[in-house]
Amino acid sequence: MQRPSKKEFSQLIEKHQAIIHKVTLVYTNGPADREDLFQEICLQLWKAYPNFRAEAKLTTWMYRVALNTAISTVRKNRNRPGFESLGAYDLATDENPEEAEQVKLLYSAISKLNSIDKAIILLWLEGKSYDEIASIMGTSKDNVSVKLVRIKRKLEELVNDSEKELS
Amino acid sequence: MNDEKLKAMWSKTENLIGSSGYDSSNIERFLSGRSHSTGQYVRKMIYMDLVMKSLVIIALVVDSILYAGTSKVVSACAGGVVLLAGLMYFQLKMLKRFSEIADLGQTTRDKLVSMLTYLKTRFTSTLISMSITYLFVFVSGSLAYFFAVYGKVRTLDWIDIVVFLTFILIGLGFNFFTFRAQIRYHVKHLEACLSDLNDNNMLVVSELIEQQRKQDRINKLLLMLILAFGFTLFAILLKKFGM
Repeated sequence: MQRPSKKEFSQLIEKHQAIIHKVTLVYTNGPADREDLFQEICLQLWKAYPNFRAEAKLTTWMYRVALNTAISTVRKNRNRPGFESLGAYDLATDENPEEAEQVKLLYSAISKLNSIDKAIILLWLEGKSYDEIASIMGTSKDNVSVKLVRIKRKLEELVNDSEKELS
Repeated sequence: MNDEKLKAMWSKTENLIGSSGYDSSNIERFLSGRSHSTGQYVRKMIYMDLVMKSLVIIALVVDSILYAGTSKVVSACAGGVVLLAGLMYFQLKMLKRFSEIADLGQTTRDKLVSMLTYLKTRFTSTLISMSITYLFVFVSGSLAYFFAVYGKVRTLDWIDIVVFLTFILIGLGFNFFTFRAQIRYHVKHLEACLSDLNDNNMLVVSELIEQQRKQDRINKLLLMLILAFGFTLFAILLKKFGM
């Protein structure tokens, strides 16, 4: 695929930046890390673009690059605290504290998953079908199905534990 | 907690998190930034070594000019240049291969498998090639030093030879094991991710690695020959000028 100009490519990313934001939210612990990962993903998308084949959906390809980048970057943050530091996130708690609390609990639970499980649950939460998840992750549909059951069970336990701790 | 509840919680994210969207001018700035990925790290290591090898070639050319009247030194320097050029060609080939496997547009599994297979097989040859640089740094540096201090390659005794060889072996070993230790950390992470993706993946990777290792035997053999040739060259230099 012919490489567009940086300006054209930036406009393309701007249009689909929600994908990158979701990935950075799941894989980082605070705004600074989030911005670093966002930059890294943009850079990797730019570098990988010449290899993008039009037969794949652009958003699917973006998820692949973003998740692959996050998975190989998150390693560096393995010793950092988890999502306990949610205070660093600008959650609009004043507007709807109950909802904000629920989102905090969900993110806190997701942050405790391993890199691969994070990717799978993120794609599922984003409404991707099992086929799409399998195609992005390079695994079978059956494997996705089995893994999702385990991940959801684990998430439920983690959210319940956090709720008990809070109450 | 059912699926709907989970998805409902997730859907609130966009409303609740004030993720300041970036405009295209900010994104354009990001595209010119520096990467901190594993792929970039490996590429940087190889590039740095290529620069070092180029500098050593220049140093050997300068040495051969300095020792223009001493045919043995000029021949040794020419031999060194040829060996280094061969190693640089090999590393450039490895770099090209690495750029192909480092493509992030692959599926996560393919990306992890290709990266792990490369780091556990071909990268070892690259590490050997990178470590050998030290031998040539030492030889070219010693020749320049001798010329600056004595105006010729001075006579070496057995103690000199033992000391020089010890330094070279320590340097080679240090380079090799330092590079390998840095990569081992990445390898462990890749292995963990692959196991998390699917329990059978590591079995597939093991088979791939075994196949790759068989294919790479010729490369390793060639590298070992170059290393042996480099040492022989150095030993001849020591013998001719020392004993």
